[in-house]
This record gives sequence, structure tokens and C-alpha cells, in this order.
Amino acid sequence: MDYSKFVDAVLDHDENTITEQVNVITPVLIKFLTVRLDASIHDAQDCAQNTLLIAIEKIREDKITNPDYVINYLFTTAKHEYFKQLSKDREVNYEDLPEHHFDKPDQLSRLLDDEKMNILTRCIEGLKADYRKYIEYWFQNPGYETSIVADYFGISVSNAWTKKHRVINVLKDCFEKKIKL
Amino acid sequence: MENSRENEIRQQIDAYVKGQLTEEQIQELWTEFAKNPELLDVLEIEVNVKEIIEREALGSGKATINKLPSWTWHAAAAAVLAIVALVQLFQVNTPTEMNQFVVQNIEPGQLETSDGVRAKDIRITTADSLLNLGFEAIISGNENRALQLFDEVISKYDEEPYGSKAFLNKGIVLYNESEYDEAIEAFKESANRVEDSRMISEKAYWYLGNALINIGELEEARSAVYEAYKLEGIFRKPAFRLLKKLSSDLGNVDYEEFDTEQLD
Repeated sequence: MDYSKFVDAVLDHDENTITEQVNVITPVLIKFLTVRLDASIHDAQDCAQNTLLIAIEKIREDKITNPDYVINYLFTTAKHEYFKQLSKDREVNYEDLPEHHFDKPDQLSRLLDDEKMNILTRCIEGLKADYRKYIEYWFQNPGYETSIVADYFGISVSNAWTKKHRVINVLKDCFEKKIKL
Repeated sequence: MENSRENEIRQQIDAYVKGQLTEEQIQELWTEFAKNPELLDVLEIEVNVKEIIEREALGSGKATINKLPSWTWHAAAAAVLAIVALVQLFQVNTPTEMNQFVVQNIEPGQLETSDGVRAKDIRITTADSLLNLGFEAIISGNENRALQLFDEVISKYDEEPYGSKAFLNKGIVLYNESEYDEAIEAFKESANRVEDSRMISEKAYWYLGNALINIGELEEARSAVYEAYKLEGIFRKPAFRLLKKLSSDLGNVDYEEFDTEQLD
């Protein structure tokens, strides 16, 4: 994702490129809000949309000129938008607030998805036996240093990483193929 | 160069999934995701794959189900009917029993392991690995091995957070084996050692209170359960109910110190 292209498109009012870029950035912001701040999907979607509108406005006002700063600006604004949303909710329905876990540091479990897991389960079952054994060992022992895994499988540490990335790539490819079916 | 940078980021993703990154590193990683959203797909795949593998590992640790012949179900149904009839016959209005409020068996999910998917400023250490292995041993039905591993953490890595976690886990195993006196000692050690973890503190006091009830030490149990209640965490509601029951049984029905409105 090239943010200088995004800035140029905004300044040139190139709507097609803006839409294209917004479609790439929006899911990242939504996931950022759900994982990092435990926002609900609905809140995250609203905040991501507001964030992009604000950012486009700022770029047009020449307040963000450096494309590298755009990413920081997007994350910071998304965070502020979400907190604003939360304080609005608090005024309307205070009773519901304790259910929000905004004090928790990180919610990677928000990336879990039943449909994804069903497909990935099939992908794992279809792995070559040694790949399957490898990835199972890797995740069943999250506390092990890579050197311990490497030692267990009789390979070097760098090969241990390569093998892990390879298995994940195979699973990712498999997932992408199956989700399209 | 490009490839080595990607490898570096993928190692960071692995560390993120395992809860080994600092806040700063996590934020840097999200900047990478914004630059290359495909890496976010990798993160999602890893999180889901890890979950599948962990669930499978948990599932394989479960007891096998033995099918019974069909006549046993008829016999069981008849027995249940007979028991119901007897209960009806001898039923009197009885007050609630203490064991309705007491934890019968502590789920393995309550065990403390390394810090999982949560971000922490610590890396996975040998003590973390031993705690994780202890968890695995329990899931595999090998409680004695788990106790050895937790004792190893206590003897070799008696510093926080490992000491409090190991004692808590030891207490949980002993509680489930009905070794309440030893469980009480372990929960007390956990509660005394814990620093900066409301969760561990809450579990230690809650299960300590439950263990004390099991040996009939109701006054002391009440104090421990009240400590858990005050921490306002996940055990607040059951702690409140148990406190009411304890106060009632101990002849003290003054609950003014509890915040009843939010719980009822």
C-alpha cells in the first residue's frame, strides 16, 4: 500500500484511486480497532469510515503532507474516533459500558472466525504429514524458543523459521483457494 | 533485502501471536500491516491456526466415551423415576445447600500459563515453558507430572509472576483431587506472592475460599471470598452469592457492605 499514491489521489480528486485505496485501508483500520481496542464490528466500521473522511479532509487542507505520517494519523484518529464513540454510548446507555473490555491490552482472539477455522481445519488435514506435525508442534509449544523446535526436528534455526513460514504460506494459499469456491 | 525484512516481520507476527511483543513493537507491527495488508492476512491465518491446534490438543486430552448397551438407558430411566418418587415422598422444604454455591471442579482454563495472546513486556522464559508444560500435562490427564512441573517452577523460579502462577496451578490440581488442606496452602502462597495481577489474586482468593468451605472453615472462607469479591472481577457475582450464603449460615445477615444493586 503506497500512501503517497493515496495522498496524490486525494489532492488530484482522483475518485477511482481514492476508492481503491480506501477499500484497502478500511479493513486494516477495522481490524486495528477490534483487536487493539476491542471495538464492536459496528463501532469499528463507523469509526474507520469517519477516520478516512477526516484524513481526506486534512490532506486536502494540506495539513498532512508527508505520506509516512498518514499511517500514524489514521491510527491515532481511529483511536480518538472510537473513544468519542464510547463516550457518546456512555451518555446514552451507561449500563452497557462495563461489558466493553477497553482496559484489556490486546484482543487477538477477535480475529478468530468460525468459517475461517472450518476451512483452515480442512487445510491442516490436507497438509503433508511432516508439515502438519511441524505446525502442530510449533503451536502446541508456544513457549519454546525456535532453537528448541529446530533441535527437535534436527534442523537449523533459520530453516526452522523458513519451514514455519512455508507451512503458513501453504495454509494461506489453501484458505484463499477454498474461500473462493 | 526485501525478503529478509519480510522474514523479520513474520517473526514479529509469530511473537505477537504468542504474546511476546511489547506495546511499542505491536504498534510498529500494525504500521507494517497498514503498509502491507497482506501481512495482516498472515496474522489472521496464524491466530486461527493456533486456535485450531490448541482446540485439537484439548480435545485429544478428553476422556474417551464408552457406549453403553441400550438396556442400561431403560434401567437408568426407571431408577431416576424411582428416585424422583422417593424424593417426592420424603420432600421437606430445605434451605439451599452450601455445595450449590461451591465450585465442584476447577476447569483447566483457570490454570495460569505464559501470557498467551496478550501483549506483555516480557519474553517467554523457561518458567513460562514449564507452566505451559504443566497445563499440557493436566490436559493429558497427568496431574502428577503437572505437580512436579509446578514444583520445579516454585523451587527454581520463585519470582513473580511465576511463583504465584505455579502455586495457583498447584492449588487447582490439589483442589480437583480433593486435597483441600494442601490446596489451601498453595492458594495462600499464591495470594501472598502475587504482584500486579488482579486476575491471579482474584482466582487465588476465590478458590481459597472454596477450599476452606470444603474443610468447614467458614469464617476464614468468608474473609477469602470477600477478598475475591472486592476485586470486582469475573468471580464477583458467584462470590456475592457465596458471601450471602456464608453470612446466613454464620448467623450474620448484614450485607450492607456489598453492592447488591449491581448484582441482583
